[in-house]
Amino acid sequence: MSTKRLIPAVLLAVALAACGSSKSTTTTTDEPVTLTFWTWVPNIQKTVDLYHQKFPKITVKVVNAGQSADEYTKLQTSVKAGSGAPDVAQIEYFALPQFALAKQVVNLNDYGAASLESKYGKSAWAQVNVNGGVYGYPQDTGPMVMFYRQDVLASLNIQPPTTWQEFEAAAVKIHAANPKNYISTIDPGDAGGVDSMLWQAGSRPFKTVSPTEASVNLGDSGAGTWSALWSDLLSKKLVDPAPGWTNDWWQGMDSGKYAVWIAGAWAPGSISSTIPDTNGKWRAAPMPQWKAGDNVTAENGGSSDAVVTTSKNKAAAAAFAQWLNSDPAAAKSLNDNGLFPATTALLNDQSFLDSPNAFFGGQQANKIFADSSAHVATGWQYLPFQVYANSVFKDTVGQPISNGTDPAAGLKAWQQRIVDYGKQQGFQMTTN
Amino acid sequence: MRRRRSNALTAVMVLMLIYTMLPLAWLLISSTKNSSDLFSSFGLWFGHGFHLFDNVHAVVTYDGGIYLRWFVNTLLYAVVGAGGAAIIAALGGYALAKYDFRGRRLLSALVLGAITIPGTALAVPTYLLFSRVGIVNTPWAVLIPALASPFGLYLMRVYAADAIPDELLEAARIDGAGEIRTFFTVSLRLLAPGFVTVLLFALVATWNNYFLPLIVLSDPDWFPLTVGLAHWNSLASGAAGSGATTVSFYPMVITGSLLAIVPLVVAFLLLQRFWQSGLAAGSVKQ
Repeated sequence: MSTKRLIPAVLLAVALAACGSSKSTTTTTDEPVTLTFWTWVPNIQKTVDLYHQKFPKITVKVVNAGQSADEYTKLQTSVKAGSGAPDVAQIEYFALPQFALAKQVVNLNDYGAASLESKYGKSAWAQVNVNGGVYGYPQDTGPMVMFYRQDVLASLNIQPPTTWQEFEAAAVKIHAANPKNYISTIDPGDAGGVDSMLWQAGSRPFKTVSPTEASVNLGDSGAGTWSALWSDLLSKKLVDPAPGWTNDWWQGMDSGKYAVWIAGAWAPGSISSTIPDTNGKWRAAPMPQWKAGDNVTAENGGSSDAVVTTSKNKAAAAAFAQWLNSDPAAAKSLNDNGLFPATTALLNDQSFLDSPNAFFGGQQANKIFADSSAHVATGWQYLPFQVYANSVFKDTVGQPISNGTDPAAGLKAWQQRIVDYGKQQGFQMTTN
Repeated sequence: MRRRRSNALTAVMVLMLIYTMLPLAWLLISSTKNSSDLFSSFGLWFGHGFHLFDNVHAVVTYDGGIYLRWFVNTLLYAVVGAGGAAIIAALGGYALAKYDFRGRRLLSALVLGAITIPGTALAVPTYLLFSRVGIVNTPWAVLIPALASPFGLYLMRVYAADAIPDELLEAARIDGAGEIRTFFTVSLRLLAPGFVTVLLFALVATWNNYFLPLIVLSDPDWFPLTVGLAHWNSLASGAAGSGATTVSFYPMVITGSLLAIVPLVVAFLLLQRFWQSGLAAGSVKQ
């Protein structure tokens, strides 16, 4: 049974002064407050304990109510039912518009969030802005980086590819040397991964035009560029369409079967905790570019912390979420947990950038991550029902990927499913 | 009559044994591996180093000992749920078998029909019902559905019909015993093998219950082991990008699974003589 105590809003002006934001109406009382925080970041209790030390009157109960879509289902049902929802919830950037438009999370502009813009990297800030309101405090980001196995590439005398053409050439070399090996995998079930690639290629397939209108175009020129290359790679069997995060995939990552993983900056934490004997064998490099000399990247993953509208302690919840994602001590603690920060403070901190990373054999990898973060292409949006859209990715785009055929047909099918669903949900759908 | 030897049968049974024991062997061996070994060594043999105790330590200490809490929850749901189910099934089956009353045939038919409905199909309607009543996210939402076991009721009805001679009940009544007294002192002892069989069935069902607790519970403090381990498993997979983790979850999931099956194995071993006699009950008229 929930032991959340329902005491009316308490706000500590101290908390706000510490965070340096300008708060609107605040009432300060000394009554203790308990907040419920739904998050799936492991070991975040350590960071939350720092908050308890600073503000002993506020207790934050950390609850792992599921990860990603599992949590979103519970969040939606509990907000609709009016009970059982938390005060603060971790919501990934792709899902945030959905909750914002359904008015299930609070517009943090009411709590002075607008003044925090300079504290966060541009791409992080762009991803919490929906229709002019700010709906989450950026918790972490996932600027795309190419992680490669130094030992594998060196043994074949391959330089880490800087363009996608070089990527394909390297793929040919690797597969020719040993048909069991591949340069990389592509997960037929991971919508986020493909979205990031489309993002980098200049595609802008999803648009939320207004709370009742959305547009989807998975056949624009960026998408065409992407699918042309990957159709080639898949049909020539130069990449392995293997689902990620499975036993086979981890074994492949461990043994060097897969030489490259293009993912967000959060990836090293997962590698080092699952296959620690590859520590020191990986290196980080910028993502391959479509035009030599370009520096265009994208985001892959990343979450924000939002305040839920059914919260009875909105101000306290906003203060906590803000502290968690902007206080320097908190940001450092989250970073130690494997999250890549969203704050400009950490992204520009020289000691952070210069610190050698043992996982990468001593390479100053943070420089590459920060550089990627600074060059994330602008203008990307998500649908008001992106969670649904991602859930049907596997049935549509995943099919040609698994079969090694042209993904463009799959993108078309995905678009159709999205349009049908949008219409069904009462949205006006366009496909310009 | 001499039992006929059959090598073919032995061979088939050996195959069956291997098939059922293989996952168990894998589980035991994998529990001794750390994350590195899991992904770099052969599944059915040991890796480098023996990490069973490290893994067990990680399992019981992670997140303030939440695994132990899940263990206690599962025990609670199993003992109260399965125990309650067995008692209710015994009472109901006895009544249907030994007493004549209006609607008896109809009730029996309804119970029989209820067995055909899969529990998973009832999970969502159950959730909506409990949501209205307001017991969602409490242990009651898991216990109450566990108490209803139509299969157990049917089993007990059949068993009671055969195991308890009517003459015995008549004798008890003539001696002046009330019905409740008769049930507890005379009938229950005769019903013991069937009772234990139903108890074991219900125990396995509640111990492995996953879908219903998954839906009705969102506070991890009340999770049973099934949902808790699935939780850890999804954390290990780091799906959807924000899967940053610095904790090795895979060995914890595997070792946690091993620890979770120990009580069931113990229960079966201790109660197996009842199980064996109960299964064959009523097959031959003595």
